[in-house]
Amino acid sequence: MASEHLIVQAYEGVVLVKITKERLLEAPVIAAIGEDLLKLVDRYPKISLVLDVADVGYLSSAFIGKLMALFKAVTLVKGRMAVTGVKPSLMPLFTVTRLDKIMTFAPDAAEVINLYKRKPL
Amino acid sequence: MTIPLTWTQDPPRSMAQVVWSREIPSSLELKQDTMDALIQEMLDRRFIDSEEQHWLCLCLDEALVNAILHGNEGDETAKVQVQLGVEGDRWVLCIDDQGQGFVPDQDVPDPEDSDSLLLEHGRGIRLMREWLDELTYYRGGASLVMARRRTLG
Repeated sequence: MASEHLIVQAYEGVVLVKITKERLLEAPVIAAIGEDLLKLVDRYPKISLVLDVADVGYLSSAFIGKLMALFKAVTLVKGRMAVTGVKPSLMPLFTVTRLDKIMTFAPDAAEVINLYKRKPL
Repeated sequence: MTIPLTWTQDPPRSMAQVVWSREIPSSLELKQDTMDALIQEMLDRRFIDSEEQHWLCLCLDEALVNAILHGNEGDETAKVQVQLGVEGDRWVLCIDDQGQGFVPDQDVPDPEDSDSLLLEHGRGIRLMREWLDELTYYRGGASLVMARRRTLG
């Protein structure tokens, strides 16, 4: 079900999604990734989602929009999510748009996975 | 420092020295090729360094998507013109579409507004203002001029 740009692993109540595409600029790619992420929220009740973007080097505001849609969907089902591995050069895109005020960002996916495992929903 | 967005009905100023130009039909399929060619040109001319490439990518993507989808409404018979020029120590990009323009206060949500925080659109211009030294819409929004001090050249 996952698009060719996502690797999804689910274990011990945590869903780890790695985006493998470096450039998140093309509308069809962004749309496909956005749809597949939302399907995960449907598939896993009260999802604990870790979104690893360490491979992403370029992104557009359209992807930030998809991230916001995902955040709202996760919040609606009383789940939780974190974005991990954001390159330092890209972090200003999230601070300027104030996403860092409402979403959890962490340098390392493993750290968040361990936290979510220790404190299940 | 975040720059203001400037919007006017006036025609864009003429560019002193155009060094690269391309006109494309309003098709998103042609956007990436145009971006790649332009970014390579700007790297070769040392207008930007590789560290800034993602910002330029973002600005170009926002500008071209807006011109193709919103300005020309995806009409492939309508053209988008992209020009790269030099003004003193700055590079200047001018992107023209054949649409009716837009009014920022009416058509674009203010991302600084707390009510806009959860919206899924409307952040592109805010991000562009963060990196560019100038962001001016001419002809009521149908011509965009983006400029920034040259990094190396």
